[in-house]
Formats: sequence, C-alpha cells, structure tokens
Amino acid sequence: MEKYLYIALFAPFVSSLFSALFAQQKKMQFVGIVAPILIGISLMSSLLLLSHVHESGEAVRANLMDWIVVGDMNITFGFAVDQVTAVMMVVVTTVSTVVHIYSNYYMDHDISFNRFFSYLSAFVFSMMILVMSDNFLGLFIGWEGVGVCSWLLIGFWYHKKDESKDVNPSVSPSWAANEAFIVNRIADLGMLVGIFLIYWNLGTLTYTEVFAQLGTLDHTLLVWIGITLFIGAMGKSAQFPLHTWLTDAMEGPTPVSALIHAATMVTAGVYLVIRANPLYSQIPEVSYGIALLGTFVAIFAASMALVNRDLKRIVAYSTLSQLGYMFAAAGLGAYWIALFHLAAHAFFKALLFLGAGNVMHAMHDELDIFKMGGLKKKMFWSFLMMGLASLALAGIYPLAGFFSKDAILEAAFNEHTYGIWFVLWLTAGLTAFYSFRQVFIVFLGDERYHEIGAHPHEAKPYALWAMSVLAVLAVIFGWFREDFMEFITKFLPAYEMSEHTHHMVWILTIVTTAIAVTGILVAFFKYSKKLNRSEKTENSFAYKLLYNQYYIPHFYEKAITKPYAELSEIAWQELDMKVVDATVDGIAKTIESSGDVSRRAQDGNLSSYLKWMTAGFVLITIIAVISVVIK
Amino acid sequence: MTITLTHYLVLSAILFTIGLAGVIRRKNLLMLFFATEIMLNAANIAFVSISSFINDLSGQMFALFIIAIAASEVAVGLGLLILIYKKYGTLDLDKLSTMRG
Amino acid sequence: MSNILTVLIFFPLIAAIFGFMVNQKSIRVYGITVAAAEFLLSLWLWASFDSTNPGMQFVEQLSLIPQFGISYYLGVDGISLFIVIMSTLMTLIGIIALSVKDDIKNMIITLLFLEVAMIGVFVSLDVILFYVFWEFSLVPMLYVIGAWGGNLRLYASIKFFIYTFAGSLVMLIGMLYMAFIYHSTTGVWSFSLTDWYSLILPFDVQKYLFLAFFLGFAIKVPMFPFHTWLPYAHGQAPTVGSVILAAVLLKMGTYGFVRFSLPLFPDASVAYILPVGIIAVIMIIYTAMIAYAQKDIKQVIAYSSISHMGVIVLGTFAMNTEGIAGSVFLMLSHGIVSGALFLLVGVIYDRKHTKIMSEFGGLAKSMPNFAVVFGVMTMAAVGLPLTIGFIGEYLSLAGFFKVSPTLTVLGGTSIILGAAYMLKALKNTFFGPITNPENENLPDLDAKELTALIPLVAIVIWLGIYPKPVLGPIDTTTKALVQMMHNKAQTKEAKATILVSKPKKEAK
Repeated sequence: MEKYLYIALFAPFVSSLFSALFAQQKKMQFVGIVAPILIGISLMSSLLLLSHVHESGEAVRANLMDWIVVGDMNITFGFAVDQVTAVMMVVVTTVSTVVHIYSNYYMDHDISFNRFFSYLSAFVFSMMILVMSDNFLGLFIGWEGVGVCSWLLIGFWYHKKDESKDVNPSVSPSWAANEAFIVNRIADLGMLVGIFLIYWNLGTLTYTEVFAQLGTLDHTLLVWIGITLFIGAMGKSAQFPLHTWLTDAMEGPTPVSALIHAATMVTAGVYLVIRANPLYSQIPEVSYGIALLGTFVAIFAASMALVNRDLKRIVAYSTLSQLGYMFAAAGLGAYWIALFHLAAHAFFKALLFLGAGNVMHAMHDELDIFKMGGLKKKMFWSFLMMGLASLALAGIYPLAGFFSKDAILEAAFNEHTYGIWFVLWLTAGLTAFYSFRQVFIVFLGDERYHEIGAHPHEAKPYALWAMSVLAVLAVIFGWFREDFMEFITKFLPAYEMSEHTHHMVWILTIVTTAIAVTGILVAFFKYSKKLNRSEKTENSFAYKLLYNQYYIPHFYEKAITKPYAELSEIAWQELDMKVVDATVDGIAKTIESSGDVSRRAQDGNLSSYLKWMTAGFVLITIIAVISVVIK
Repeated sequence: MTITLTHYLVLSAILFTIGLAGVIRRKNLLMLFFATEIMLNAANIAFVSISSFINDLSGQMFALFIIAIAASEVAVGLGLLILIYKKYGTLDLDKLSTMRG
Repeated sequence: MSNILTVLIFFPLIAAIFGFMVNQKSIRVYGITVAAAEFLLSLWLWASFDSTNPGMQFVEQLSLIPQFGISYYLGVDGISLFIVIMSTLMTLIGIIALSVKDDIKNMIITLLFLEVAMIGVFVSLDVILFYVFWEFSLVPMLYVIGAWGGNLRLYASIKFFIYTFAGSLVMLIGMLYMAFIYHSTTGVWSFSLTDWYSLILPFDVQKYLFLAFFLGFAIKVPMFPFHTWLPYAHGQAPTVGSVILAAVLLKMGTYGFVRFSLPLFPDASVAYILPVGIIAVIMIIYTAMIAYAQKDIKQVIAYSSISHMGVIVLGTFAMNTEGIAGSVFLMLSHGIVSGALFLLVGVIYDRKHTKIMSEFGGLAKSMPNFAVVFGVMTMAAVGLPLTIGFIGEYLSLAGFFKVSPTLTVLGGTSIILGAAYMLKALKNTFFGPITNPENENLPDLDAKELTALIPLVAIVIWLGIYPKPVLGPIDTTTKALVQMMHNKAQTKEAKATILVSKPKKEAK
C-alpha cells in the first residue's frame, strides 16, 4: 500500500514539474491533458487507499527519509493515511481532477496556460503533503506550500495594475496575493508557537506520540497549545478577524477559487482542528470558543453576502459562512460531522464556482450580477448545475448540504447551546436567500447583458461533463451519511445524539427546511421576474455597512497598513538616519573636530611652544608637589 | 648677617625666574639665548652652593660641565643664528613660524 | 594531505600574487580557475571530514613566538567546515558573475586576497592568528568598496573600515587580557583557543571579557544600534562586494559568538541572554520596518540581512543544540540566499543602472527566468519550508523559545514582516503592467548569470529538502559544544539554561 501512498503524493508533483518545463512557452494542449491524467492517477491511488483503510481499519504508514535531525529533534518526512486523511485525499483529488479538466476550458485562451497547470498541480501536491503528513512540521510544510501556491495563483494575472479600492476592492491580483500571504503568515506564527510548545513539552511532533502523551501536560499548557494551533487554523480558513484576504483572493482565475478558496485549502484549518481532536476534546473552553467564533463567522459572512453584487465574492462569502459551520461543529465536539460537511461542501461549492466561471466566460469577465440576467436561455446546463449546487448549499432535501448542515444544527441543539443553534438556523435562511438571489438575478429576469454588449454562450461540453461529476456528488453524497459515520468513527470520536434530540429531530428538520425554503421563496419573488432595486434600501446605513464589509478592510487599511508604512518611513528617515546614524557620525565628527582644535597649538612659533613647555613644566611640578604633600 | 644657603638658593630661583620669563616673553632668538644662559647660571649657583653645603664636590664638578657645555652650545647656536639671519634677514620668532601645523 | 588547511589559505594567496603577471584578457579565466580549484579543495576537505568526530580536525600547529605561546594553529570542526565551503563557493560565484568593466585584474586579485582572509578567520585556532586574519579581511573589502563603488564610495568604505576596526580593537584588548589571565592562572603564555577553552573564569571577569568580545562581534554582525555602516557599504559596494559582504563577512560576527563568547564565557553568556535577546528582537523588527520603507531594492536586501542576522543571534543565544545548530545553519542559508539576492539585484543594475524600484514594474513579463530565480530566492528568504531558509529560521526560533517564549514570538514576527517587505519589493519590481517602455525589451538572464545562479538555486532546494549532510556534522559539533559549556558553567542559572541533548540512543 505504501506504493499507492507515494503515487498519490507524487503524481501531482510530477504533473507540476512536467508543466513547469513548458511554463514559459505558449499554450501546449498536451500539458492540459497530461496534468489531469496525473491528478487522476493520484485520485485512483487515493481511492485504493481509502478502500484499503476501510477494509483493514488500519492506517497506512510510510517514512520517506529524515528531514531535520538536530539535538533531540528528530523530524522525518513521515506519512500516514488513516480514515480522516483518506477522506481528505479523496476529496482533494476528486475536486482537483475536475478542476484540472475544467481549466482546459477556462484557461483556453490564456498565454500562460502551461504555467497555470504547473501552479495548480503544485498546489495539489502541497495539499497532499498537508493532509498526509504524520507530524506537525510536515503539516506545516504543506500549510506553507499551499500558501505559496495560493499566492502564485491569486496573483496569476500579475500584469494587471493597481486600482483604487473604490474601483476594485481587491486592488490588483498581485496586491490580493500579497495580502493573502501576509495575513496567513500572521496565523502561521501562531501555529509555529504551538509547534514549539508541543516540541519543548513533549519532545516529539508526531501526531500519534503527541496525542498519546497529552495527559501528562497541565491544563493551562494545553489551552495555550490549543489556542496557538487554532490561530494557525484561523488564518488558513479565513476566520474573523483574518478573513479579508479570502474575498480579495477572488482576483485569481475562477478554477483556482473553486479548488483552493472553496474546496480544499481553506478547509485546512478545519482539518487541523479535526486532526487535533484529542487535544481539543480536553480543552472544552477553547472548543466552545471555536464554536462561538465559527457561529459568528457563519452569520457575519452570510450578512455580507446578502447585498454583494460581485458574482464570485458572493460565493466567497458563502464559503466563509460554511467554514463557520464547520468550526461550529468541530468546536462542539462533532468532529465527524465537521468532516462530513467539509466533504459535502467541497463538492457543491466547487461546482458553484465552476458554474460562476462559465457565467464569467459568457459575460466576458463581467462580475457584476446586476448586469446579467436571463442567462438561463443561453446557458441552461450551467443554470441547472448552479441551481443544484445552490440547493445543496441551502440544505434542501435530498441534496448533500441537507444531511451535513442538518447534522450540525442537531449537534448544536444536542449540546444545549441554543444560541448557537438559533444563529446557525437563521444563517441557513440567509444562505438560501443570498444563493438564490444570485441564481435568480443571473439566470432569470430580463436580459440586461445586452447593455454591455455581451454574447453569452454555453460552456464547452467537456467542461460541463467534468462539472457533472461534482453535480452528481453534490446530490448523492449526503445519502451515504450513515456509511461515512461508521467508517470515520473508527478513528474520530463518535458523536451520539441524546434521546431528547432524537425525539426532536423531525421538528428540527422541518424548522430548518422551512427557513431555507422561505429564503428561496423570498429570493424568487423578489428577483425572478426582474431586478428589484430600491434606492432607499441601497442608501440605508445597514446596506452600506454590509456592502462595505462592515468597513473592516477600510479599518485595516487605516489602522494597520498605512500606519505601518508611515512608521517604517519614520523609523528609517527620522530614527535610523537622524538618530542612530547621526550619533555614529557625530562621534566621528567630534573626534575630528577635537583634532582640528588641538591642531592650532602647533602654530610653528617657537615662542608659543616654549610657553606650552613652561606651562607643562609648571603643571607637572604642581602635581609632583601636591602628590608629595598628600603622601 | 651671614650668607646662608637659603640666600644662594633664593638668588638661584630669582635668576631662574628671570631667565624663564625671558624665554617666554622674548621674541628675538638672540635674547632667548641670553635668557637660557641666565637659567643655566641659576642652576650653576644652586649646584655650587648645595655642593659646598653638603661638602660634596660632585655638584661643583657638574657646574664646570655645564659651563663647558653652555660654551659649546653658544658656539654652535650662534653659528646657526647667523645662518638664520642671513637666510631670513630677521631673528624675530613671530616671523619664523614656517612649521605651522 | 594532512596540511590541507594551509593549502586552502595559501593557495589563493600565491595565486593572487601570480595574478599580477597574468594579462588583462585572460585574468577572468585565471580567476575562475583558481576559485574553482579552491572550491574543489574545500569540497575535498568536506569529503575527508569525519562527521562523527565533534572535535577539531586537520589540526596543524607550528610555534611562531614560543615566548608568548603564539602559534600557527589551524583546525576545522562541524561549525567552521561549512562556512569555509560557503566562502569558497561564494567567491567562485562572485568571480563568475563579475560584471565590473574596468580594472578587472585588480578586482580578481583583491577577491583572492579576500578569500585568504575569510578562510583564515574560520580555520584559525590561535587567537592572534585569528585576529590578524580578522583585520586583514577589512583591507581588500575597503579596496573593493573604495575603488569600484558608487558616488559615496569613500565615505562608505572609510565608515566600514573605521567602525569595524574600532570594535575589533576593543576585542583585541579583551583577547590580550584573556591571555594575561591564562598566564596568571597556569603560568604559561598561550593564545591557543583550545587551551583557553579549558580555563574556567570567575564570573565577574567573564562579564567584562564578554562585553569586550561582544563589541567586536556585534559591530561585525551588525547588531542594532551598530548597524548603520552596513546600508552604506551595501549601497556603494559593487555587486560582488555586496555578495561577499553579506554572505561571508557578516558571518564572522556570529561565528565569533559561537567560537568565542559561548564556550569561553558560558556564565556571562547566560547572564546576558535577556539584553542580547532584546537587542536581537529590536534589530529584527526595526530593520524589517526600515526595509519596508526602502525605495531602493538593494537597500531592502541590505536591511533584510540585518533582520535575518537578528534571528541568527537569537538562535546562538538559545543555549541549546537546536538553537545553536539552527543558527549555524541559518548563517549558511542566509549567506547563500542573500548572496544570490545581491547577485540578482546586480543583474538588473547592470541593465538599467538604477536600483530604484519605481523605475521597474512588470519585469516578470520581460525577464521571466530572472523573475523565477528571484521568486525562489525570495521564498527562501522568507523561510518557506523545503527551501534552505526555513530550517535555520525554524530551529533558531525553536531553540530560543525554550529560553524566552515572549521574545521568540516577537522575534518570530520576522516571518510576517519579512514576507511584507520581500513581497512588496517583488510586487513593485516584477508585477503590474510595464510602465516604463525601456523595460519591455530588457534581456533575460544570460549564460554567465545563469551559471552563477543555477547552482545557488539547486543548493537552496537541495538543502531545504535534505539538510542532513550539512546539519549532521553541525549537530555533532554543537552537541559537544553545548556539553562543554554545560560542564564549564558555574552559576546555577547557567547550568539550568544550557541544555544538553540526550544521547542518540536514548532519544530514539
């Protein structure tokens, strides 16, 4: 099985290197064929591993080689495929394969076609390292690796120029890329500190050894480890207050948004919390904090999605919101449910993004949904798939989202955290509303796209076929909830609902479905005929607040970015040049000028030399006399 | 009133001071020479008087040495002075400050 | 070849003297040949190095002034071995990439003299010999900056010389005093470092000696607030000067900490952890901010060097194997990465004769290979895992975390601030539209530049993935060093802080 492990891991790497060979040449079709095939091979191996783990119930382990061996530190490139990893691998490679195929269509006319595949495969490789590593530092390699690939891919169209924030909220692709990288770095520092804490207190970084020894640590320390690791997770999963980069990351090509910023990378934080479940289950207060933060982010992001007009940003907010759901579940101890939602979300959200990609292509990269409308006639299949994905997202029976989101709500109810339940329930309604607001505005109503002179067309059939895989998964994945639970709880702690909750399940389901359906209906009546806009609402304070993302990006700009730049300028010009360096030069100048002064004593006049001599003689005599007297 | 050692030493000190003042104040090189001669003689008086006081002839011997050296010094010095005068036409120290730093 | 170290030192010296006779046309080939031979010799040194032996190897000793115990005493261990190899490598790369137009002959001869000094510093085990090489290294560098520099070259070179020289003099006094103490304790004169190691000094004496040595090393590193000579030196130096300065000369300071301060004064080192740590953290954050404000890309890298040296200092004062080995590794990785970055800046300077970032923008389009190499080096500079930059930075911070978590977190901001200024520089130079039409047709890296840069890229990735061949010997020697410090330590605090690693078998 080790063989398949390495194939699954390195096939994307080979794909990346292969594409990189041609990165600077113009488009070569075979790159777009070889890359998906190699990712597909990785998918096959992942599936084999999954079935092996399923049958044997044992993790597959492999140790490639030593990495850092210093002092007591002994870190290897060790990999372990257990139930959680196997699920993650299959999810990652499935979405990746689809996105790779789809990219052939989306990036068809791009000059840097080959380069794109190189980056995309490199991302898959990093993600595989992230989920497959058997120790925290290996995870960190992947963690940073996906960060760099994300940086490369967000800034893929690096040649675009910087705009002001009013024209383009994310300034430019390279700006957004830098923002994403730097914000993630803040979180990574937190994670590093967590790793240091683990190392110095347990002497190892391997998951199994760490989790086995957790009992030996005192509670405060565990809390610190839990918090610092979670800070790392917050950055990667774009949780408040480190969330702004995710929407700006939409500057990247849409397949990237689908793969990285919806299905895989952003869920790495959730993966970390699930992976570290033995830790988090020992520190309920931190877990509860995670659940609260997740809940807050769920409704916070959903509220911003309500008014946004940018096709991709709406989906990005919904991703953020769903990540909040996952953290809420993980924080409440329902780790397997979090993982289940993670997988389901990956499928339908990637589908949603790819659908958005079709729309963008059809609209010549226009993103303002108010300029679209009535696209259903021209793009029926895209409409169908985006509709399906939105239904899944809204949690409508029998699609995947229904089963996973419902389980989270049940868990919230079961824990007697009714506040969390209520907020998540409310968010479910908001989710349904904004997703269908988008679908209806884009696909139904009057055909506003004529105004901007667009000629929409349906995507190429192979792109649609690739998407259909995700569509099928988005529909049927939820049906396997029981099997999934049985499989995964061999590794993750089972989550049992109490008797009380069991009785309530029907009611809860109905209530949840009711609010989702309400949301869809509201959206339908408001937007299905034509675009209803009211000046009054759009000028209201609440609308503006939401539209400007609660002014948080502005706040960051004013409170962090600008002051930092100004402070740097002061540190350089005022402090370093005028204080530190001036002191150094001042010392040198003092010595020089003192020499200049004493130089005058040597005026060449014998008479004055004699005076100096006499003065010196007298001085020495006086000193001699005084010293004699004192003695 | 007998003349004691103190009187000689006071005389020596007075002469030395006069010589020193001359060295400091005089601007003419020739006068400087005279002033140094006065200082040397002040030292001689001190040597001789102390030598007689402690009954040790070394001091008087020293004085003789000093007279001899002073004589040869004057011979060489005056020769140099004549050369300087021939070259610069003056013996004024303020005008001879070519070694200014 | 038992006297390989002597050969390593004197081969470039003799070659440099013969260099005067070589004519202008063939001097480049001559220089490359000599530097390559020297590099191969240093590789041979590595090949015949016994990595399980933590002590000094290839030892040579020849009495010079027996009355004062001064001798010609050489040796390498796991710590100095790789710095020597890096010195020969960077000299070779520097000569290959040499783009100086006039007086190339003198430049190459100067570089060979510089190489002599650098190797001499790292292999000397006699303190006087060390000091001679240490000061000798200033002269060729002074000449490189003063003769081939920019407009302010005289100011910069004199500042560089006098500043570092002043610090060294204080260090010399410390050295002489140390020898005096050795004489008064044992009754014999000795300037041999290994003899000094066996001496246990009273704590009060250690404190003063530590400070004397510290001043010499701190100016060389350069530590805040003694750093201001560096931006001028880098700003004015020609490319090859900056490469050698950043890659090797700065490392002399941190090497001095590891070779002198820690083993000679373990108690004082422990006592001064806090002030040194605070200075290092200030240095990391403060210079990172200054780097962010720079308009000139070379200055960004110059200040980033200072910031990274701060992390090295943190690692050195971690007082455990992880930290010290990490800081030694970081010295190597910083040498290679910053050297490469200066080379890359030189590439663009040769084409445009400016280093101001606003003149550029969109270069990724016209110079894709250049952008790729720059990108790799940037990533190594910001400490991306699987590049050489990560391992040293991670280990240094991990090591210091044991001593002071708070300072480590503050120092760890270097990974954030470092990303901020490097990515800003990268964006301003390479991304965005090409605003200046002159930049549209800039030629990409040529064969000469690729020859110089590709080996560095290969090393950056190789040692990032598989650092064991280098980290192994460093680890062995560092463990012995820490053990020795622990045995020598007198104060209770020092005993507790200096953390000896478990023996290998027990750890497994």
